[in-house]
Amino acid sequence: MHKAMLVARREFLHNVRRPAFLFASFGAPILIIALLAIIMTVAIQAETDTTRVGTVGYVDLSGVLAQAIEKPEAFQPYPDEASARAALEAQEIGAYFVVPEDYLESGEVMLYSFDDAPEALEDEMDDFLVSNLGAQIANEDVLERLRSPIDLAVQTLDSGRVIPESAAPALFILPFIFVFIVMMASQLAGGYLMSGVVDEKSNRIMEILITSVTPFQLLLGKMVGLGALGLLQVVVWLVLGVIGLSLANALDMLTGIVIPTDLAIIGIVYFLLSYVLYASFAASAGAVIGSEQESRQVAGFFGFLSMVPVIFIFNFMTDPNGTIPVVLTLIPVTAPTAVMLRLGFGSVPQWQLVVSMALLVLMTLVVVWASARVFRWSLLLYGKRPTPREIWRAIRSAPRMAVTAQEIAR
Amino acid sequence: MQHNVAVSVDRISKSYGSFRAVDNLSFEIYKGEIFAMLGPNGSGKTTTIRMILDILRPDTGRIDVLGGPINEEKKNRIGYLPEERGMYRNVQVIEMMVYLGQLKGMSTHDARQRSLELLKRLELDDAAHKKVSELSKGMQQKVQFAITVLHRPELIIVDEPFSGLDPVNTLVIKELLLDFRRNGGAIVMSTHQMQQVEELADRLLMISRGQQKLYGPVDQIRREFAQHAIIVEGEGRWDTLPGVAQVDMHENGKKEAVLYLSPDATPDSVLAAIATTKGMSIQRFELAVPSLNDIFIQVVEGHDHA
Repeated sequence: MHKAMLVARREFLHNVRRPAFLFASFGAPILIIALLAIIMTVAIQAETDTTRVGTVGYVDLSGVLAQAIEKPEAFQPYPDEASARAALEAQEIGAYFVVPEDYLESGEVMLYSFDDAPEALEDEMDDFLVSNLGAQIANEDVLERLRSPIDLAVQTLDSGRVIPESAAPALFILPFIFVFIVMMASQLAGGYLMSGVVDEKSNRIMEILITSVTPFQLLLGKMVGLGALGLLQVVVWLVLGVIGLSLANALDMLTGIVIPTDLAIIGIVYFLLSYVLYASFAASAGAVIGSEQESRQVAGFFGFLSMVPVIFIFNFMTDPNGTIPVVLTLIPVTAPTAVMLRLGFGSVPQWQLVVSMALLVLMTLVVVWASARVFRWSLLLYGKRPTPREIWRAIRSAPRMAVTAQEIAR
Repeated sequence: MQHNVAVSVDRISKSYGSFRAVDNLSFEIYKGEIFAMLGPNGSGKTTTIRMILDILRPDTGRIDVLGGPINEEKKNRIGYLPEERGMYRNVQVIEMMVYLGQLKGMSTHDARQRSLELLKRLELDDAAHKKVSELSKGMQQKVQFAITVLHRPELIIVDEPFSGLDPVNTLVIKELLLDFRRNGGAIVMSTHQMQQVEELADRLLMISRGQQKLYGPVDQIRREFAQHAIIVEGEGRWDTLPGVAQVDMHENGKKEAVLYLSPDATPDSVLAAIATTKGMSIQRFELAVPSLNDIFIQVVEGHDHA
């Protein structure tokens, strides 16, 4: 297997220097982060910055705010609506709100402003009212519970997993991140593999390669080398993502995220299996079709299949154990995405995980085996495109064309 | 098996569907010889070469390479120059050579040293750090040849080694081939350039439609085809000689003629007749050894020689 490692090393070192890889690894994420940072800054500024409103007047007809406990500096009381309206029209204040007489019964508060009011203003009003209402409650613990009534921990009984609330955002986001990473990394690595095969076939260096290594060694080497490249890509993206968040002073977004170990392990296993499945498929597609553009379309269709669960995202969110999610969990092509989505929204019964993974492993083995045969058989086909029937015959054909067990052992 | 046999092919056949590409071929290739494989396009040469290289497997028959059935270790002792040249385009020459050398089992260091040596010998010192796509076609051709012999193989199979080369570079490659033979290597050369075969090859195999047409030492085959014509230069009326069936005068001012002999005559009998006939004198008398080109055309067009 020494030669397979030589191929792996070469594929890795050759492709890691390619401008396309460097752009995908660094250029694209930096652009995306920069773009997101600008959008976020502008949006956050608009919603959290209450200073643009200036002074906010208020008219308290209910008497709730009479003591003005913890009054924000920008809040300015007015005796009646007429004087507040006059101040607003004179642009002394940016907005004013009225707490009506029947506030305790209705909870209604009116806000008057010429412009749209930022969300943060409502939060400030909320806090102001709660502080003053709270003055009527003697027990501070009760007050605290009123402010924050629930700290939820969900225990799903079938899997026995406890999901603390602090991990909830991570659980919600992780499936998407996982799906994104799996898709991008396997498609990129699979794409390199495919274009490498097409290239080596079209410039005929394939004839020299297969008089030096077996097709199986070549395929294995390419899959390992480019798989490592895919992983590197993932790591680079994650590191850039963390750097991006820290630049945006949003690192605290991550502090609540605890990646559950089981989710991480299951994720990695599915990631590797789906990469091997995709890569071997892409390699034989490239070898058979022999044109990069067309093989990309075929492989793209395969990539699309694995994303099918995302189409049914609504089913996954509302009923993770419903028929569609369960079926998609068991179909090997869609299993990685489906399982990750389900783990995010709920839990997957163990028997389903076992069956799903077993089927995926089985299918991966079959596809790798068939790909190796088709790969070997198609390497020297030039000119004519084989029919599906000929490909089928190549998969089934006698050892004459096939990768033998002896070769695998070498 | 004799110890000087590099490749032994025993009654191999190969079909693609109903098309019989190679039909019951047997031949041997010796160490220290240049063995030419000739045949029209589509005659089964490339299929035969690919079976020797284990890219394809014969339907029936047996091939022994370097003393037994081929295996992965033996592939490290074989060099192959395919007809359709193949190289990475956007890679440095030296980098590609080292990689291909490693795949043939060389160490990185050895592959690099030997690559630089070969490039120097091929007057390509400057090319080592250029990209393949920056080289001229002739230079690429030479690099490709260097790759073929890079790992010091014992057997090389070269398909059209001189195509696309100018006379100077043809000479350089020719010398490398002769060197390789001198050192005991076996060379299989497939080509359509007949005068290169006449000049270089020790033995040849000519196939047509997958079947053997001619097989043996080049000189012997040419002599076999030469039996019934002689070339003479001199004075006299050649058509009156006994045993001469037909005369072709050469229009080159040297009074040269080709005498085609009748089936019962021999060159000796004609020479005797010339000597005893008055008014005839000769400056030159030799067997009309046909060019391989003529033999090739004759064989392929289906005229069997006696």
